[in-house]
Amino acid sequence: MAFKTREESDGKVVVIECPVRLDLSVAKDLREIMKESTEQDKFLLVVDMDETEFMDSSGLGALVSRIAATRSNSGDIRLACVKEPILKLLELTHLDKIFQVFESVHAAVDSFEA
Amino acid sequence: MKIGNQTSMQENPKRDLSKFYMLEPDYDRAIFEMPKNTQKKIMDKLEFLYGPEEAERSFQEIERIMKVHYAYKPSEMIEQERDLDPSERFSEKDVILITYGDLIRGDDQLPLEVLADFADKYLKGGINTLHILPFFPYSSDRGFSIIDFEEVDPRLGNWENIEALKVHSRLMFDGVFNHISSKSRWFQEFLDANPEYQDFFTTFSTKGAISEDHLKLIVRPRVSELLTPFSTLNGKQSVWTTFSPDQIDLNFKNPKVLLKMAEILLIYVRRGADIIRLDAVTYLWSELGTSCVHLEQTHLIIKLFRDIFDAVAPNVAVITETNVPHDENIQYFGNGYDEAQMVYNFALPPLVLHAFQNGSSAHLTKWASGLKKVSDEATYFNFLDSHDGIGVSPVKNILTKDEIEMMALRVLEHGGFISYKDNGDGTLSPYELNITWYSAINREDSDESEELQIKRFIASRSIAMVIMGVPGVYLPSLFGSRNDADAVIEKGETRSINRKTYRKESLFARLDDVDGSAYKVSRGMGKIIRARIREKAFHPNAAQQVLHISEEVFALARTSVDKKERILAITNIVDRVQELSIETKEIGGQTEFTCRDIMSGKDFVSTGGMLSLSLAPYEVLWLKCS
Repeated sequence: MAFKTREESDGKVVVIECPVRLDLSVAKDLREIMKESTEQDKFLLVVDMDETEFMDSSGLGALVSRIAATRSNSGDIRLACVKEPILKLLELTHLDKIFQVFESVHAAVDSFEA
Repeated sequence: MKIGNQTSMQENPKRDLSKFYMLEPDYDRAIFEMPKNTQKKIMDKLEFLYGPEEAERSFQEIERIMKVHYAYKPSEMIEQERDLDPSERFSEKDVILITYGDLIRGDDQLPLEVLADFADKYLKGGINTLHILPFFPYSSDRGFSIIDFEEVDPRLGNWENIEALKVHSRLMFDGVFNHISSKSRWFQEFLDANPEYQDFFTTFSTKGAISEDHLKLIVRPRVSELLTPFSTLNGKQSVWTTFSPDQIDLNFKNPKVLLKMAEILLIYVRRGADIIRLDAVTYLWSELGTSCVHLEQTHLIIKLFRDIFDAVAPNVAVITETNVPHDENIQYFGNGYDEAQMVYNFALPPLVLHAFQNGSSAHLTKWASGLKKVSDEATYFNFLDSHDGIGVSPVKNILTKDEIEMMALRVLEHGGFISYKDNGDGTLSPYELNITWYSAINREDSDESEELQIKRFIASRSIAMVIMGVPGVYLPSLFGSRNDADAVIEKGETRSINRKTYRKESLFARLDDVDGSAYKVSRGMGKIIRARIREKAFHPNAAQQVLHISEEVFALARTSVDKKERILAITNIVDRVQELSIETKEIGGQTEFTCRDIMSGKDFVSTGGMLSLSLAPYEVLWLKCS
């Protein structure tokens, strides 16, 4: 699997590390990870995009695939280390108004404590 | 799979002369004389809008325009109009298909010819009205920034192609009169300082000419700047642009604009329009210090257009497109006899979506219970999807803010997007949800069977078929089109998600492939459409009684105008079997009676004053009771 996951904040936050390309070939895996997390009642998700250089519509779709499930359970999906081209894509699709974006994974994880 | 049940007619059908205007006016015949009451109605409105002196001048021009129009009418049309019963303008037989002129494209054929082929092959006997979204030359917004109101975009076809579509269908045209393209001749004349066009637009000397206090009051569906600066022969001018820098608002405070638009409306009628959709009409008249939406002047202009139609084109109906809260939306009916004959039922799509998302019809049922028949001459346009998204402003007083937000988030989960509007106070709120109806109702990454998803889709569509009014279907929903998210990224526009174009050959092949999803969806759509158009109980003027049976179904009873036929329509909105017991007195039936589901032919018998029903997941029953 192209994604690595780990838990932080005593297992309350799931951090998902994304690969260089977040596209059709891996989007299903991200959807699956998010689905499994929410099914295990883990609703605080951080997507680490430090490595990610490219994202297509499939990747976008996967990013938001559990946004209602998390928020309806007092959780959220937050993004960290998002590069400029991907920020532009988020802006273009108005998803910049949905996602909180943080400069580091640490900041994103900590934001759930606030 | 055909939506209608009539066979294709390749030979030239008999031309109904009462439907087509003459190519030239006949001034040898009696000239139109405006009835006294019409004169008064028009004059009163002009005086309110422009004052007595200007009203007199404008009236003379309107009268001239009407006389010219009348002279184009063949005697068969005049004869037919004498027998017109406005309460039968719309009936159960009306179903409107919404489409761009080029949603289907073919090789070696103009798109409007392809549309005619599609209508001929698949729609006849099912869908009787085509709403062809703006088919004029344009510069942006997929046709809604019109360069020339009077020409057909040559990339689509020509007026003859439009006329050919009218042979089998009623036609709905767009009157995109709030604004015009920045590339239009009218706007170029303004830039060139032609004095005739200086007041065609609302201009300010600087971009900051409108105070912050006034700006905050103005309600707009976009977050772009209200004023757009342009260089003109007379220097820099900032121009009112409600929608985008390319869509220049027309200034109806200038009577010449109104007269021009009245003339164009009648040209559309002569070119075949049976229904005119007044696009974004909410914003027609602007007054600083107000919200600039649905002002009294705007209503008066629509009423004035109606006066003109009633006098010289009584077959033509006005429909207003006002994506605003429901209570404000229905103001466009006027008193039921003097403004729009039909309004977009904007609250319906988000409420049906909310019902299916949450497995609860509570809000939909409550809202539908309050839906009143306006008059025998006015009704609702019950659409679920269109070229735009699913507007959420219309339910802002029906659903809570949290409910709207959760609905929007679920749309994101289903691969859709959200468009926002500027609240004027630095905040944004969802304005519309951009997603195809099939994708809104179904998750593509779900493990569910295709059969269940199609049932859910058809169940949702059935609600628009039974609720009071005239149903509309956006063409891609005839075959359950999915999101086109790539187009959103490619075009940088979230609405592109539902504007995919199809190749004629492959689409027709999909619609004829009995094993494919497109065929199965269109078969389901055809079934509910054909069932609807057979039943007098679905006439727009048929009485409606919404039933509170269970939150997991949506149910209503319709009774035909002559009270001889009654249909109980029940839709299971969840994926579980529903066992229902309905007291027959609740649906106006006898203690013992038989109902037949008009789609399956299955009979149900009430006993002891109760009707017991079992509905499979997403099953739709239309029970005709005797």
